[in-house]
Amino acid sequence: MKTLELLAKACAVIGGGLLTLITLMTCASLIGRNTVGITLAGDFELTGVAAGAAIALFLPLCQVRRGNIIVDFFTSNAAASTTAALDRFGALLLAIAMALMAWRSTLGGLNAYTTHSGTMMLGFPEWVVYACIAPALALTAMIALAQAVQGSGEDVQP
Amino acid sequence: MSPLLLTLMIFAIMLGLMAIRTPIAIAMFTAGCIGYVTQAGWSPLANFLNSQAFARFASYDLSVIPLFILMGHFATQGGISKALFRFASAVMGRFKGGLAMAAVLASAAFRAICGSSVATAATITSVALPEMKRHGYSGRLSTGTLAAGGTLGILIPPSVPLVIYAILAEQNIAKLFAAAMIPGLIAMLGYMAAIAVYVRLVPGHAPEQNTVSEKITLESLKGVLPIALIFVLVFGGIYGGFFTPTEGAAVGAASTFVAALVLRELTLAKIKTCFYATAQGSAMIFMIFLGADLMNSALALTQVPAQLASVVQSWNLSPLMVVSAILLFYVVLGAVMDELSMILLTIPIFFPMVIGLDFGMPRDSVAIWFGIMVLMTVGFGLLAPPVGLNVYVVNAMAKDVPIAESYRGVMPFLVSDLLRTLLLLFFPGISLWLVQYLN
Repeated sequence: MKTLELLAKACAVIGGGLLTLITLMTCASLIGRNTVGITLAGDFELTGVAAGAAIALFLPLCQVRRGNIIVDFFTSNAAASTTAALDRFGALLLAIAMALMAWRSTLGGLNAYTTHSGTMMLGFPEWVVYACIAPALALTAMIALAQAVQGSGEDVQP
Repeated sequence: MSPLLLTLMIFAIMLGLMAIRTPIAIAMFTAGCIGYVTQAGWSPLANFLNSQAFARFASYDLSVIPLFILMGHFATQGGISKALFRFASAVMGRFKGGLAMAAVLASAAFRAICGSSVATAATITSVALPEMKRHGYSGRLSTGTLAAGGTLGILIPPSVPLVIYAILAEQNIAKLFAAAMIPGLIAMLGYMAAIAVYVRLVPGHAPEQNTVSEKITLESLKGVLPIALIFVLVFGGIYGGFFTPTEGAAVGAASTFVAALVLRELTLAKIKTCFYATAQGSAMIFMIFLGADLMNSALALTQVPAQLASVVQSWNLSPLMVVSAILLFYVVLGAVMDELSMILLTIPIFFPMVIGLDFGMPRDSVAIWFGIMVLMTVGFGLLAPPVGLNVYVVNAMAKDVPIAESYRGVMPFLVSDLLRTLLLLFFPGISLWLVQYLN
């Protein structure tokens, strides 16, 4: 779990770095457009794909911190052992869903690679984004699986 | 299986999983997958999933969400809130209950650069709660005020739920921001009025004498300068046609980062904290997006939402009655669900229903006005017992105040919410005026 957590944190920092790059690029593009009249054509495509990669890279840390919202209204009076068991079940279900998404995104990425599909204006290759999404989804699945197996020990607290 | 029965089954699976603490996103995802496979089989679902994560994550329109969240966390970590609260208490200090009003003012102003209700409540609480306690405000009034102050933001741009509504309803984000501006101001004034009335009707919750010695000085003005500048830059740019909302969010994040650097509050460790918090906040939202996508695709296959819309039209109810019923439904649902899941799940069902009714307004106006009404109502759920996420967040930070006291503390604000909702329900022009003016 320690390794998974470290990986998740590294992913989040890379994702945050990507977002920061977007802000810098956008500012540069805006200054160019509104002062000297030079436009970075298709900058919005780069924003889209970079944000896509960043969001995928954010998923593992969110699961490490159990940041996905649950409804505890119906179980607020249940025993701690009951809620712990239910949380393990929830983590298991999340692991399955993320594994499914990781598998299908890998296929989607391979398809994008072989068909050379790219963004409209710049032709930025889509498989690059898939290459961030699929591993991030797989990492999220592994973290959730570890949580389902171990339960919420100390090492999964934020 | 008949479409109606199937729809009920999909909902039953979703609600059943939610009740046993499955993450909301995954409850929707699972129910959606089951519903999809039952109707169309595995291979269409598999094809859909191949590109779904890419399509949802790598979208220019949606990239505005993580950017606004990042901006908010730069502001949260950047020490902007302290200076802001000091200025607000200098302005409001002379009134009875002035510090509570200052907390409302600071919450609203902070929300102008921070996209999240819970983050705002937590940030302003950390600076305002100790001050209010020191000046003799009761735990009930101070926690109630701070929890309510956090919900103001759902109407104040750049509100993330507002962006999500705009995307779902295919409306212009800038227009929705404009439409929310005046209701947001009314909400802020309404909360201040609620405090003024409450401290007079129920004595003992605020000090009788004005004990705040802060003066409006050049020094305290400096504290609000960054926020004012960033707000004008971002929204001036968007409305002046210089940039799109996404570009505005990027400019906002960059300038908040610079402001935090100038205030000398930002360390490398804090930047990491910003990234982690942004990661958690954005991932949570996009996870719900994935689940809601599956759920909505499965529901669309049953064609029940479309039929429901025409059935409701055939009843010839008064349009206001339909909208009121929907809003009441949100209040009930808000007791167990968070605002984003509610919006993502229900707007695809309710929006076609409402847009088909005749309100005597153009379609776009109806879409904008309905959005404002929905957002105001889902804000209720953040405050009202038995859940009230914001009440929990603020109460957790005030260790000596029992949760029941905090729930009592939000009552005056819920009354204010109710009055405002009625006002905007019967006078749509209040929210639409600024949109037309800016056109």
